Amino acid sequence: MNRLRRTPVLAAIAVALLLGVALAQDIMLDPRVFDIGNELRCPTCVAESVGESNAAIAREMRQIIQEQLDAGRTRAEILAYFQDRYGDWILLSPPRRGVLLLVWLLPVAAVLVAGGGLIVLVRRWRAAADAVTPVAAEDLARVRAALAGGEAETPASDEAAPPAPAPRP
Amino acid sequence: MKRVAVVVAIVGGLTALFLFGLLRGAPDRNVPSNLLNRQVPSFDLPVYERYLAEFGPRLDLADHAGRPMVINFWASWCGPCYAEAPHLEAAQRRYGDEVLFIGIQTQERDARAAGRAFIERFDFTFPNVIDDDSRVSIAYGLFGVPETFFVRADGTLAYKHVGPVDAAVLTERVEALLR
Repeated sequence: MNRLRRTPVLAAIAVALLLGVALAQDIMLDPRVFDIGNELRCPTCVAESVGESNAAIAREMRQIIQEQLDAGRTRAEILAYFQDRYGDWILLSPPRRGVLLLVWLLPVAAVLVAGGGLIVLVRRWRAAADAVTPVAAEDLARVRAALAGGEAETPASDEAAPPAPAPRP
Repeated sequence: MKRVAVVVAIVGGLTALFLFGLLRGAPDRNVPSNLLNRQVPSFDLPVYERYLAEFGPRLDLADHAGRPMVINFWASWCGPCYAEAPHLEAAQRRYGDEVLFIGIQTQERDARAAGRAFIERFDFTFPNVIDDDSRVSIAYGLFGVPETFFVRADGTLAYKHVGPVDAAVLTERVEALLR
């Protein structure tokens, strides 16, 4: 019975120790390790960077980044080290060359096209609003007659017959 | 009418994109290796006790230069590794005289007992080594386990197989190494 009670406690202690070791390893790392790690995809994870992941391989990759920083390598050299082994796949920001350049250019092109389209549309709407609406001579005569007839001839309620719109200048 | 056609085209396009995302399944991890046709990284790793007599305490890849090789990465927690293991041992028994098969336990730390049990279960007669810190798996650009590398006699990578290998893949790729 006692053993049964002790098991969860021992398991909790073991988990805490493991987490503590993992955290201690990370605390000792240079903050630049996480900056660089955030540009690398964790190979065994889904949608996680090396900087964020707690997977064993991501921790090891952070360690490699630290060692390379200690050896005086630059950010670009460290990224190239992983790119050499995993290819462009490992980079979370695709390189700006070849077909991958489209990934960078297409959103800009989409914004430009959408912005241009919006400007054209707004201009058209304005032109349509400013345009003089042609009114038939017969309708114009009826409106003039109604105006000349005075208030008495206008309907009592707006709902019953809305007033005719005034002709635009 | 024209406006309706534009709206239908946009909604149709977005729906098609949505359905594509839903139906395409899991993302394809079968990314071609960046090491293809390049020299594979060398390594020098500790060997499991079972192979000490033949290979000594450590296996240095450089000592076996000039031989075609099949390098298989596995872990004791990996289900597909159990599925492919009998095929690897069968291929080793068939081609072991001409091709060096090497098993590398990786992506698990200090799991000697589990590794030993895995090796004994499939009676692996080819050397198995321990990549405790996963450095070799990173050097080989591994995405996960199992992955198998088919290396030509000149040390360049001919093919990388992601996921469990079967008898057909092993026969085809090993025969290609020997041609």
